[in-house]
Amino acid sequence: MSVGRFLVRRLLLVLPLLLGVLFFTFMLVRLSGQDPTAKIAGPTATAAEIELVRAQLGLDQPLFTQFLIYLGRVVQADLGRSWVSQQPVLQDVLERVPVTLELLLWGVGIGALVGIPVGLRAAFRPDGAFDQISRFVSLLGFSTPTYWLGLVMLLVFFYLLDLAPPGMGRLSLMLSPPPRITGSYLIDGVIAGDLEAAHSAFAQLVLPVLCIAIISAAPIIKQTRAITLEVLASDYIRYARAQGLEPAMIRRMALRNAATPVVTFLGTELTGLVGTTALIEYVFAWGGLGQWGLNAIITGDFAAVQGYVLALALFSVIVFLLVDLAVLLLEPRAGTRA
Amino acid sequence: MATPLLDVRDLHTHFIARNLDNEIRTARALNGVSFSLDGGKILGLVGETGAGKSLTALSVMGLLRPPARVVAGQVLFEGRDLIAMPPEEVNRLRGARMAMVVQSPKSSLDPLSRIGEQLVRVQRAHDPALGQAEATARAVAMLEAVGIPDPQRRARAWPHELSGGMAQRVLIALALVNQPRLLIADEPTTGLDVTVQAQILDLFRELVLANGIGAIIITHDLGVVAHYCDDVAVMFAGTIIEHGPVAAVFGQPAHPYTRALIASTPERLVIGRTRTTGAPPPNLYALPTGCLYRDRCPHAAPDCAEPPPGRAMGAGHIAHCHFAGRLAEHAA
Repeated sequence: MSVGRFLVRRLLLVLPLLLGVLFFTFMLVRLSGQDPTAKIAGPTATAAEIELVRAQLGLDQPLFTQFLIYLGRVVQADLGRSWVSQQPVLQDVLERVPVTLELLLWGVGIGALVGIPVGLRAAFRPDGAFDQISRFVSLLGFSTPTYWLGLVMLLVFFYLLDLAPPGMGRLSLMLSPPPRITGSYLIDGVIAGDLEAAHSAFAQLVLPVLCIAIISAAPIIKQTRAITLEVLASDYIRYARAQGLEPAMIRRMALRNAATPVVTFLGTELTGLVGTTALIEYVFAWGGLGQWGLNAIITGDFAAVQGYVLALALFSVIVFLLVDLAVLLLEPRAGTRA
Repeated sequence: MATPLLDVRDLHTHFIARNLDNEIRTARALNGVSFSLDGGKILGLVGETGAGKSLTALSVMGLLRPPARVVAGQVLFEGRDLIAMPPEEVNRLRGARMAMVVQSPKSSLDPLSRIGEQLVRVQRAHDPALGQAEATARAVAMLEAVGIPDPQRRARAWPHELSGGMAQRVLIALALVNQPRLLIADEPTTGLDVTVQAQILDLFRELVLANGIGAIIITHDLGVVAHYCDDVAVMFAGTIIEHGPVAAVFGQPAHPYTRALIASTPERLVIGRTRTTGAPPPNLYALPTGCLYRDRCPHAAPDCAEPPPGRAMGAGHIAHCHFAGRLAEHAA
């Protein structure tokens, strides 16, 4: 099966999934018991004025009709307007996606670059000193609350050691952002040749990225170790030994067989950490999608919450699509099996 | 007399591990296994689960993993002691001069390599000078020799595309492709259905005899031994309690355990049942002195507290029992 056909089939599967996501978030948000009309109409509004706002927003219609209207707009790439900022939700989301992605991808990327080799090394010598230490460290990472880690990082590296800038956004307050190309100040700064901005953006990135790297490395170490141990205990590795294959060759066979489950796990990890990133964004005043989404939930900004959830769902879909493509490349069998 | 192909002498394999109280505990899994095997012969290794059949194979092949290890004895393969040999050297013999067929063929093949690639890999691992084309040609010829139809196309198949019987044929091809002198098959037909079992064993015997290979079949199935083996060795609690030519041992079993084993096997039924007619096997952590079968033996007598000598019953037939020969009158 060609990669093209695989993609088309996968995209067709995604459509009903997204429809379901839209429906459930729409209904959940409305069942949350928050009523924004009073807030929008203002503190001096009379009951009649509130009703008027309600009718303007379409909130007097039956729920299902409201959903159909919403769906009709979503299809035309109109996610509605935030009642708080009065900005189109789509614009808010698009602005913030790269901001969060920057944090998440660096964090999980470094977590994987450290976690996978550590997990592999631990698995090749189970119960050795390295394994014991890595298991202890991984347990520490597991049991550390994210926001606490962020606060402690700031306390130590900013307040006590003065090595890092304060956790106040993505760029020093003294600097103006480089012209937007990718949405990442670091990359845009480098592209624009504004090295001062790039340097400041990098300095701001270090602590939050470190937090996410630590939080993500713990499960990556644990899973990589478990997956590799399982492969090493498999019949085919035992039989490879019985065939007198060289240890290096057996190791390569084990790595190849462990690659697919490890990559799949990385996908789950990446999507799962979006929520954790929101907390880190709060601590470091990052202003990305996560922080924005949490605010929307707290203020009852219906359209923004729906936009947030839709963005997360799309992110998951894209991540798993990439994972499947990676598996397709890693596993020669996948092509013949489907 | 010429050196036998394989001569196992007084092999002791123990599992040595610490328990939760940090005390060293030793399970004496093999307690002086001795046998020998010549080229062109098939030896059947039988006994109940836990008797040490597979462990004997792993000890011979040098495939033991901690906490198991050989603590005493010799494994003379073509006159050289494998136990004393450096592990890398044993690894060079494994898959080349001595090969193995195991009981879970489908899961024993590397899931990410085509059948042909695996056959090429095992050849080139032991002969780096061998060219790709030559190895591929030999792989296809080998698949044909083990009765796989359309071998050219099958060489491109993935392991998950094979049936259990086909996978077992591939395993036999993998084992034989480097023309080994010794072949150990550990329950090669477990999990295959009966007609396929017979086909695989027929093939096995044919290839072994045609190439003058010395083979060991480990099995629960006395029927397999009777049909396909020349000699049989009966194991109990990590020792061989009786061995000899199949006809002699099955015709006049001299050890009470062998008798119980044969009596509990109506035709081709699996032997796992003997457990229900006897008792649990002895505790390997605290083996009694003397005859290990004493606690379960209907003929146990005070003499049995002494280790039983090997009594020759004629024509290579030896039984390790104080009463071997004297029980013969009331044979079943």
